[in-house]
Amino acid sequence: MNNRSAIFLLLVAFLAVAFICDIFTGNAPISVNEAWAALFNTSGDPIIDEIIRNYRLPKAITAMIAGAALSLSGLLMQTLFRNPLAGPDVLGVSAGAGLGVALLTMLSGTAVYPFISSMGSMAQVVAAVGGAALVLLLILGVSARIKDSITILVLGMIFGYVASAMVTILQSFADPDSLKVFVTWTFGSLGGVTWDKMPLLFAFVLTGVAVAYLLQKALNSLLLGENYAASTGLNIKRNRFLIITIAAIITGTVTAFTGPIAFVGVVIPHFARSFLGTVNHKTILPATLLMGSILMLVCDIVSQIPIANRTLPVNAVTAVFGAPMIVWIVLKRKKL
Amino acid sequence: MCLKVINPPPFLFVVFFSLLWWGCQSGKHGEKKNEGDGDYISSVSVLHAKGFQIDHAREYTKVTIHNPWTSDRKPYAVYYLYKTDAIALPPDGIKVKIPVTTLAVNTFSYFEFLTLLGEVDVIKAVTDGFRVYNPVILQKMETGEIIDLGDPFNPNVEKTMALNPQAIINSAYAQMDSYSERLIQAGFSVIYSLEWMENSPLARAEWIKLMAAFLDKEAMADTIFSGIEGKYLDLQEKVKEVPQKRSVMAGDNFQGTWYVPGGNSFNATLFRDAHLDYHYKNNKESGSIGLDIESILTQFGNVELWFGCEADTYGELAEKDAKYLLLQPVQKRQVFNNHNRTTPSGGNDFFESAIANPDLMLSDLIKAAYPSLLPHYSFTYIKPLEETPARE
Repeated sequence: MNNRSAIFLLLVAFLAVAFICDIFTGNAPISVNEAWAALFNTSGDPIIDEIIRNYRLPKAITAMIAGAALSLSGLLMQTLFRNPLAGPDVLGVSAGAGLGVALLTMLSGTAVYPFISSMGSMAQVVAAVGGAALVLLLILGVSARIKDSITILVLGMIFGYVASAMVTILQSFADPDSLKVFVTWTFGSLGGVTWDKMPLLFAFVLTGVAVAYLLQKALNSLLLGENYAASTGLNIKRNRFLIITIAAIITGTVTAFTGPIAFVGVVIPHFARSFLGTVNHKTILPATLLMGSILMLVCDIVSQIPIANRTLPVNAVTAVFGAPMIVWIVLKRKKL
Repeated sequence: MCLKVINPPPFLFVVFFSLLWWGCQSGKHGEKKNEGDGDYISSVSVLHAKGFQIDHAREYTKVTIHNPWTSDRKPYAVYYLYKTDAIALPPDGIKVKIPVTTLAVNTFSYFEFLTLLGEVDVIKAVTDGFRVYNPVILQKMETGEIIDLGDPFNPNVEKTMALNPQAIINSAYAQMDSYSERLIQAGFSVIYSLEWMENSPLARAEWIKLMAAFLDKEAMADTIFSGIEGKYLDLQEKVKEVPQKRSVMAGDNFQGTWYVPGGNSFNATLFRDAHLDYHYKNNKESGSIGLDIESILTQFGNVELWFGCEADTYGELAEKDAKYLLLQPVQKRQVFNNHNRTTPSGGNDFFESAIANPDLMLSDLIKAAYPSLLPHYSFTYIKPLEETPARE
């Protein structure tokens, strides 16, 4: 077994351990034995069964999907724009999702209420997807007209700023209670995805991952620069369109279901490249997915630590607890 | 999720007219049942609140929480309360066996309802425990009899489920929140609190009757509310005799925006009942109106009283912003905050028991504006600002 295979095996083992630990950790006093029994048979207590099967299990799966998806999106953006600071949010898609949710907050008590209430809690997801899709369409519109990827990156950031500015305007019109409701969404939450919503999240992200796998060669060519990639016969425009579309769709979907989650998408691709010692997407892509899932699961475990009777917002935990971990590794290895 | 948008765009007029229509429709509360509801033998008399209705069948009670955001009379929630098992209940709605003995209460306004009904012991969980004022609840939190579920906008799902309360009282908004959705999916009974949508003090206080239905204490709630209502209406009559209304301003500056009550809001109704003149009395907004300091100075610069100031002293006001000194109530020392009953960790009884005691809220305003009418009364929730100078 070579070194790389060993690393992958280790990552899979880590992922399994983190997944199990995430299911065993929470605020309800449930022992490991009870949790195990609830997972595979029954603990004898319907409440414990409910918490483990219908709360912790979907939450852990959501953490895995969200971590993998955001990291993949970050990897695609970094490769396409050849910019180490690029992340899932550079296209303004997350800000677009935020705009959708802010608009929903403003409109939910108005004449459109019957329509919104008929969707139940899916309304927030639909609003976020709508906002993200709007920004995506703008990006695709400009990318069809512009040759230079860096210009698209800058325009994406501009769209993001405009969406954020519109959110700020909406917030200035809202009363403090509505503000708090919106701010709570920006904290990010992995616990909002119920079993009935899971297939939708899974399907979008799985499609994104599948397309990304098919684009491995194109992504490797892009690492050498667009001119070189074009000289190898790569259709830059078509591949750029595909990369932007899947990155935006998976970021938009994850943001819609979990709220914005920062940090993971920017750092994990660097971490994967550094750990595996290669930039080849055939290796980096699966490593990014695995590492993203692991970090997200660890962050979810950390966010369960009650501080003043509150669990920590997962959006903050990713940076606050993830950053020292990464810095420590960088210091150990003297480089990223 | 609630919507209280500032400076009404056109759709707010639609909302307003919907609410108006809804209000007209709900004037039928307290009457005997209409045809089609023949199973119900009597109804609880609800005189002021528009948001709920309680009907009695022979073997169970139907509690309906109306939906304030639609005009089609489709209820927000329906509950069937029963005392003994093996009773045939209608297929819809949430079934709750009464009296409820364990409750998670995620909204502060219900603490006093439960206290007045002598049922504070049913509270097993609260949110934002550090902001609680009620001393009995604080003591029970110390002994561990009551647990803290964290942020009221995002309470801890696991802790709530592990506690396994018979029902959870949760603030309802125009959007389904994932906390309530999770609990309902798991088979828990969520009692939606929509009392905050009522825009008169007596209407809000009348929600004690809804709480009482779940505790099987309807008669007691009726007596308590009648007493409160009587005191409130007496005060309202008494203050009407004052020949000259005093003018008033409200709210405070929050990061550059001054939120003042809309003319159709709870506070504006309270000002009207306290015989006070308020600039936005004819405004139709039921939430807040966001104003800048210039509008405040021009519209309220010469009023006589200011309620709801966030500062504790005049020195603090001057230190925050010298423009406060341009307001006449500041110059004439007629400024009041809501900090008379607070705890060091941020608890404030104004946000707890005031909703259940509108007569005391009205007394506070009357005492501040027309002190000769209530010579022996001392402030319950409000407090005049003190004269402590600004920090050097």
